[in-house]
Amino acid sequence: MRRRLVSAILLLGIGLIAAPAVFQMFSRAPKGGEMINEFRPFMEASKVEQFQDYMAQIDSAHSETSEKLPAFASDNAGMDGETFDTEFPSTAAFNDQWPAIFKDMNDGMLVTMEEMVDNFAAVDALPPFPLFPFFFVAPGIMISLLAWSALQADKKGTSTRSRLKLLALLGIGLIAAPAIFQMFGRAPKGAEMINEFRSLMTEEKLARVQGYFLVLGAAEGELRNSVEPALGLSGSQLGSDFPALAGFHLDWGKISGDMAPMIGAMADNIDNYEAVDALPPFTLFPWFFVIPGVMVAALALAASARGPGLSGKEAFAAALPPPADATGAFFAGLKAKAEGNRASRAQSTEDVPPRQESETR
Amino acid sequence: MSDGRARDRRGVLVAVVIGTALIAASCGGDGGGGGGGGDAGQQELVGLFKVDPGECSGSEISGSYFRMIQSGGKLDGPFVTNGDSVCKDKSYTALSPGSDGGLITGELQGHPEPPMDEQGNGMADNVIQPQPWFAVAFACTTNSPDMQSEEEVPAPTITFDGKGTLSGEISAFSCAWNGQFFNQGAPKPDGESPGLTSPVTGTYDPDSGKYTLEWTSTVVGGAFDKFTGVWHLEGTFEES
Repeated sequence: MRRRLVSAILLLGIGLIAAPAVFQMFSRAPKGGEMINEFRPFMEASKVEQFQDYMAQIDSAHSETSEKLPAFASDNAGMDGETFDTEFPSTAAFNDQWPAIFKDMNDGMLVTMEEMVDNFAAVDALPPFPLFPFFFVAPGIMISLLAWSALQADKKGTSTRSRLKLLALLGIGLIAAPAIFQMFGRAPKGAEMINEFRSLMTEEKLARVQGYFLVLGAAEGELRNSVEPALGLSGSQLGSDFPALAGFHLDWGKISGDMAPMIGAMADNIDNYEAVDALPPFTLFPWFFVIPGVMVAALALAASARGPGLSGKEAFAAALPPPADATGAFFAGLKAKAEGNRASRAQSTEDVPPRQESETR
Repeated sequence: MSDGRARDRRGVLVAVVIGTALIAASCGGDGGGGGGGGDAGQQELVGLFKVDPGECSGSEISGSYFRMIQSGGKLDGPFVTNGDSVCKDKSYTALSPGSDGGLITGELQGHPEPPMDEQGNGMADNVIQPQPWFAVAFACTTNSPDMQSEEEVPAPTITFDGKGTLSGEISAFSCAWNGQFFNQGAPKPDGESPGLTSPVTGTYDPDSGKYTLEWTSTVVGGAFDKFTGVWHLEGTFEES
């Protein structure tokens, strides 16, 4: 029975070793680590706030380009709305598409990012992703080796007590690990983040955001290089009559410089995200330690309770009566037995004939 | 007797091998022009491919230029509109020669240090002059290791087939823009040709030295992931 319990521990150890390979954690976990590293610069409250400020700034510029500017073109250049749109197609596209872009970027993507800042921080505080597989493999190897060693010892009739004690400790260690790494709080946050990012981290979404960037960039360039010169807008007039548009020009380099790497991070991490998303749900991760930990500890304790294998000394000690009984009648009995033995040895010596010379030679 | 025959055979074999090698070497020769040998008639052009500046006239462009096909597009577009292009058709960005005069084959023309200024403008001006793209200048050079993939790549090579056609390898071609690097070589540093990436092709007139070089290179990663750069260089080749 004890051997069966230890064999079950051995199987659990092998299961822990095999788990990362089964879940392809050796390839997926490092991709998760890469994604966390590349998202880090963008998943900060201040950064998200900055992007929201950019959106608000562009939104103000859009109000001017879609309302005041065509009116200005009509008043100062006799250009009706249709002609304006034909002459300046990038500006027209911006005027037309911005409300939808703003809704998707500001109310969708940036809100999601803002809500997930704390979740990201929780995941980022977990041990490095590339180490995850080894959190299973290392205890798995130790448990397997100890269980195998206990089985061998049991076979030889030597003690398994210390091995079973170590196995119980390892089980307790596995139970404690998620608590030590605060996985019960952090892993569900990671799961929530992965769920929320699912709609953002797709090729379709990437292409859409890339498209937004093209609309903004093309319009900014066209406004600066074509529209404003064509309408005779000087720098000072632009600043006084179209302050939001002037600010858009002024800050576009910075907006573009922040936005392009964010789009790049999205593009570069779609496959990394997919790898992480293919892992078992983060919420389950603490239990991947706790459940085998409980089982290993319980099995090891149960095996110990079934009576550990005995060493020679332990067998001798076990044959001795309890100290309380090792007095009086027990010693009298031993004494009588010893006297009987001596008497029988003396009798047998008398019965033996004297040895001959040749026999002693 | 048999040993002597075997020695004779070995001697003949060695003589044939040496003779064949000598004949092959003499046939390969220098090939004229600028460089290395290879197949008969093939000539590696080692030197400077001087870049004629792009010039826009109406909706037409002549000289050297760059275009970018949008993600999911085909060779005929849709193209990205560069609001900073001086051309009427703003899908064209005219290129102008850099301080080296153009593209040098057989050696690398790398990015300076730093490769970009604080605003993300590319600083290299050796192959071509930096060109504004969405208000930020892009600058292109040839580098090993590649600035984006960090893989080792060879210096550009262009081969003339002796019949007016050029082919080549330009995996080291890389552009810096807005804090990021985009490999724009063909093939890519890993030897693959993803998306619309196509090998370098072109024309060459040995008498006048006039050449054209064209290739397409799909961006892998970064803000313009899956967009494709279309490169057209033309000018005069100067053998080094």
